[in-house]
Amino acid sequence: MKEYTKNNSSELTGHFFRKEYGKMVSVITRYIGTENVETAEDIVQETLLRAVEHWQKEIPENPQAWLYKTAKNLTLNILKRKKYQKHYEAIEARNVKALENISFSEKLIMDEQLKMMFVCCHPSISENSQITLILKILCGFSISEIANSFFSTNETINKRLVRGRKQLRENKVNFEIPQKINKNLNIVLKTIYLLFNEGYFPSQKNESIRYDLCLEAIRLAKILISSASIRGKSDCHALLALMYLNASRFKARIDEEGHTVEMEKQDRKKWNQELIQRGVQHLNLATEEEKNSIFLILATISANHCIAPSFEQTNWTEILSLYDRLIEHEDSPLTRLNRSVALAKVKGNRMAIAELKKLESISDIGSHYLFHFTLGEFYNRENKRNKAIDQFKKALALAKNGRDINLLKKKLIGLVPNYQS
Amino acid sequence: MKEFMLFIRSEENPKASLSPEQLQQHIEKIGGFIKRLSDEGRMKSAQPLEMDGRILSYKNGAIIDGPYNETKEVISGYYHLLAKDLNEAIEITKGDPRFEEGIWRIEVRPILKVEGIN
Repeated sequence: MKEYTKNNSSELTGHFFRKEYGKMVSVITRYIGTENVETAEDIVQETLLRAVEHWQKEIPENPQAWLYKTAKNLTLNILKRKKYQKHYEAIEARNVKALENISFSEKLIMDEQLKMMFVCCHPSISENSQITLILKILCGFSISEIANSFFSTNETINKRLVRGRKQLRENKVNFEIPQKINKNLNIVLKTIYLLFNEGYFPSQKNESIRYDLCLEAIRLAKILISSASIRGKSDCHALLALMYLNASRFKARIDEEGHTVEMEKQDRKKWNQELIQRGVQHLNLATEEEKNSIFLILATISANHCIAPSFEQTNWTEILSLYDRLIEHEDSPLTRLNRSVALAKVKGNRMAIAELKKLESISDIGSHYLFHFTLGEFYNRENKRNKAIDQFKKALALAKNGRDINLLKKKLIGLVPNYQS
Repeated sequence: MKEFMLFIRSEENPKASLSPEQLQQHIEKIGGFIKRLSDEGRMKSAQPLEMDGRILSYKNGAIIDGPYNETKEVISGYYHLLAKDLNEAIEITKGDPRFEEGIWRIEVRPILKVEGIN
């Protein structure tokens, strides 16, 4: 793939190693089996270490070919090594010849990454482990990088990986695209969306790693779309559209000091038009099948925001009716909370306030800072200053990440001139 | 200008625990460091060493394999450097970006100037 190879004799393109890691682990796992995926990870790590030694003074003409050759030889050595033969006997007989003759074509790499996606998202694996396996195996993040982006610890992430690999072994998960592809495809899509959201919601630190998570999610969705094995890709197109459209606003959501900018106040000139166009293209492809899905509705809502000339001139009526359709698919408190923003625009803040109060009495949404934040906004617009302050304070007590806390403090300072945080 | 040998020492391989992203950065940073010094004419040679080799010694009239050091520390590479004096050599060594990413030790030793040999 052109974009990943070096651009001149002394430089590697961004994230070259990380991306090659996922490709090589996928290809090797095909030959040694999913029960040995950790061996594949070790082989690739060793390959990269060798590259470091050999490339210190000069990076080879074709770095990709160098890596693939080294990884292949290391794999063959392991398969042939005597002490492993008992464990690897069956694998060896089957695969040494095939591996010796293998050529790492672009198609092969794509196919194996696709299979690996389904392996990581096997229904027998817990949701936490699925996403962790994807990040480690397919995206080439280290345990501590994953822990950083999830605000978790190395121990927790490692446990999820160990559990995931164990489930692969115990359930004898085959390295293939499953027969009942649609059921598993839904899990893959959901995991990719989780991965995207993990990167999308702003945090104080690790800005670059988190944007990388979004790009990785987009890359994985593109692999699904280019696959010939999947028929009926409207859900894949819808998810990719949603991610492109949301990603288009990524840079506008944070100001120079690193503070969150609400959509209302974002400079729409900073929205990435190229990503919006790609999003709209995939949205059109997604609607060809006339199949309704959560991703399609979410993407259509996002597109409505992207094409609106301003916050006020957004087609809120359309967005509200999209939320109504979304609730038919997924009636969750968070969806209803998001819907209330459109409801306030179409039917007035008072209606939205009543709706939220009702929601609070029937669900545990009140434990979420965003609930009080949104309610505070509605009160504020209605000039009910004290009630707004009250809600913002509740939100502040529940907010966890630095950016949310800053934004809430700014709101409170605006309402209470001598507010002390 | 004086000549110096810099021995890069480490226990095990500190790079083994780096992530793919960090490994790539390692190549870029160390490569840049070596290239800059080479361009300035200060780096005469820089080579990594393989992690296993042999230590030979003489005992009771025979060359034997060993004995080995008690410590796990090994020399994993060397630089051959030109500098004004030991202080300058040390300053240059401090700029080696590998110090940022793991437990490395670099031994800086002036090459002894002997009349008629070097």
